[in-house]
Amino acid sequence: MRQEEAYYAYWLSSLPGIGNRTIERLMETCGSAEQIYMASEAELKQVLHGKQLESLKTVKRAWKLEEAYERLITQKIGFTWQGSENYPERLCHIPDAPFALFYKGGLPQSEVPAVAVIGARECSQYGSYVAAELGKYLGQQGIQVISGMARGIDGISQEEALKAGGISFGVLGCGVDICYPEANRGLYEKLLQRGGVLSSYLPGTLPAARNFPPRNRIVSGLCDAVVVIEARSRSGTLITVDMALEQGKEVYVVPGRVTDRLSDGCNRLLKQGAGVFLSPQDFVEELGELGKQQKNQEFQGGSVNRMVQNKQGELSGKARISALSEEEQLIYRLLDFSPQPIEKIAGRLSESIPLSRVSMILIRLCMEGYAVQISPGRFCVRGQ
Amino acid sequence: MYSTVISGTLLGVQACLVSVEADISPGLPAFQMVGSLSCEVRESRERVWAALKNAGLDIPPTHITVNVSPADLKKEGTALDLPIAVAILEALEYFPQGTADNMLFLGELGLNGEVKRVRGVLPIVREAAGRGVKECIVPRANVAEGAVIPDIAVRGVSTIKELLDFLQAGSQEREGILPAHRILAKKLFGKRRLWEENDFAQVSGQESAKRAALIAAAGFHNLLMVGPPGAGKSMIAKRIPGIMPPLTLGESLEVTSVVSVAGLLKEEQALVTERPFQSPHHTISQAALTGGGSMPRPGVISLAHRGVLFLDELPEFQRNVLDSMRQPLEEHSVQVSRVNANFSYPADFMLVCAMNPCPCGYYPNRNQCRCTTQQIKKYMSRVSGPILDRIDLCVELHAVDISSLHNGKRAESSKELRERVETARMWQEKRFKGTKYRFNGDISGAEAEKYCALGKQERKCMEELYNTLQLSARVYHRILKVARTIADLAGEEAIKEEHLLEAACYRPAQDYWI
Repeated sequence: MRQEEAYYAYWLSSLPGIGNRTIERLMETCGSAEQIYMASEAELKQVLHGKQLESLKTVKRAWKLEEAYERLITQKIGFTWQGSENYPERLCHIPDAPFALFYKGGLPQSEVPAVAVIGARECSQYGSYVAAELGKYLGQQGIQVISGMARGIDGISQEEALKAGGISFGVLGCGVDICYPEANRGLYEKLLQRGGVLSSYLPGTLPAARNFPPRNRIVSGLCDAVVVIEARSRSGTLITVDMALEQGKEVYVVPGRVTDRLSDGCNRLLKQGAGVFLSPQDFVEELGELGKQQKNQEFQGGSVNRMVQNKQGELSGKARISALSEEEQLIYRLLDFSPQPIEKIAGRLSESIPLSRVSMILIRLCMEGYAVQISPGRFCVRGQ
Repeated sequence: MYSTVISGTLLGVQACLVSVEADISPGLPAFQMVGSLSCEVRESRERVWAALKNAGLDIPPTHITVNVSPADLKKEGTALDLPIAVAILEALEYFPQGTADNMLFLGELGLNGEVKRVRGVLPIVREAAGRGVKECIVPRANVAEGAVIPDIAVRGVSTIKELLDFLQAGSQEREGILPAHRILAKKLFGKRRLWEENDFAQVSGQESAKRAALIAAAGFHNLLMVGPPGAGKSMIAKRIPGIMPPLTLGESLEVTSVVSVAGLLKEEQALVTERPFQSPHHTISQAALTGGGSMPRPGVISLAHRGVLFLDELPEFQRNVLDSMRQPLEEHSVQVSRVNANFSYPADFMLVCAMNPCPCGYYPNRNQCRCTTQQIKKYMSRVSGPILDRIDLCVELHAVDISSLHNGKRAESSKELRERVETARMWQEKRFKGTKYRFNGDISGAEAEKYCALGKQERKCMEELYNTLQLSARVYHRILKVARTIADLAGEEAIKEEHLLEAACYRPAQDYWI
């Protein structure tokens, strides 16, 4: 019975021109997906208008229920719909929830805390550092990380969460069988192993700009709280925040420098009363969740040993520099997350060092992992 | 009557001596020219005829045949007018047979008998001197060009009548009619210095770019400058020839030959004494850049021989145009093939390129740059791989802020920089004596290890660099070569760690922008 309901639900979700709200009304009128399938034209006419009815009839004519569903199984694509057992519980409470979800891998669990990490695609060194640290910490704490698998903040936080042994889920703006963006294929494959990839779109749907707002709604719908890391004053990220607020989710924002345009959206949200994100530990404590099994306080990563974190768990982004020579320390202190030209760094030294020597020391700092040369003439501190 | 006269034609920038033969026979009046002649040479017929008539020299109605030998070599240009006229006059016995022996003639004739300037006089005179020709008669406007060649008397003539007077006179009076012109090449090299107009002291700020330019000039390395518009990339590029060591006589003869063949030598100019600077616009066609065309002429890269070729707005150049530079960059010459002949133009230049970091020009300043990663990647990929592969140094320039313009801090002048380049050059001369290389920048990748030997500690440092910065073998060799030049500039015989690290700072890499 259950299995067959899945067939009908799949058929229902594939009807073009018939979206969530229409399906909701159909369900109210007919009762279940199977009954919608069996319904007469007269019944359907109560909810659907001419074109919708036509498309339903066309699809129904060609549709082979069992075969179509078996194809999903062969492609290893999972299917869940409102009312089924494994439909994510959190989505039941949001307005305009997606009727159907396709997934590869697994689905988020409702008993385990989930956090959505969102932000700009073209992020700065600062943003990538914070995203990475947050992803890492959430992964260690066993908190599910939900995001869009996009370039920039999304991808970085998910990648780090998985690396730290955690679980993450990516919600896509295309079919689950398509990896978009292609550059994140590595992440896509990893998500299939430790977490999952979800979409409300039919397999084979290509990514399109209009698919992303509904997808963002699902990202915020699946979490308990949203963390915004970097956003310009007009950006897709802010639209997702609006949706999260509609859904009643907690929104935490990472403050940034007032001179950085990438922090404009964030700072504005803070002004409007969003939660302030000071560090991963601080954030998680506020959530009231201290994670379960995977809590690992002795996480040994090469870079973590060098990362200076004080007792309150604040992030400093800078390493212990006692191992460096005096000249190297002098120059390292002048570096920070925003890339600086060599001449500027040399100009800020209190005692002048010749430019060629400054270049030499900067390269040495890069070699030893303290700095990174992000372009032929600019250096910044290495956040990892 | 038969007569023959020596002249020359151009093959690329080389010259080939030809004989112009004239034969006068009784028969129906005719004037025929044979010998693989191109259109403008064929037109000589009309010019010679009218010129001789207007000079008052009567040509009887006979059958005139003119042949330019070797008959299977395609002849071009208008320089054969004068030798044809002289051959005809000799055949008509206007002056004693044999007077014009061992003399080379070159010149275009105007319809009034005037002798006009031609291209390529220098290589032809050089070839003639090498073959033992003793005298050269060239247009007056070209006489300075030939005059630097020793062992040959170069005379400049302005009309055909004047030349005839010369040939008819006795040997003592000849010198009075058309004196031989002699210029001592040494004298030419002491005069103007490029940096008087363009001096590095005029560039404010941009210290790392100036340092990179110094290293590039010292080792003849190719340089790429990246920066927003107005930062000073063209300014610095223009000043690089001024800090390169002066042209040697041999180099100058090469450069002058190319300029002469291109028809660009100024009147009264004997030799090019300063390193050339060529800056083609990015809409240039392939034929104009590398040379060729239906009438082969040297391209811009040959005009930059021994000097600087500056490609501003590198990504705006057409891909196929940049790709056509691949071979010249490798072989330092351009091969031009035509149906009848193959020749090569020299193209040993230092390449300096300039570009913006992204389409809007402000990357990585995220406050101003809104280009997506895709756009930046696409922009970078328009720069052809083979060109980037031959760049040894990459430096970034930043927008100049007002404080450095008002600074007043004394910047190093071109003269000071040139002295440092000379020191480095001397080291290189010593190092490459007897080999095919002249500068560190010439060394092919594989031989870099041989000429840039490293000590144990330095080798370890390079290994670390290789791993941490994820270098490729190509970039590794480039760093070695640049480090060798930095060490030469510092007067050090052995390459030290600090030189390697500084060289690594200037390494070109496409992955920065990603």
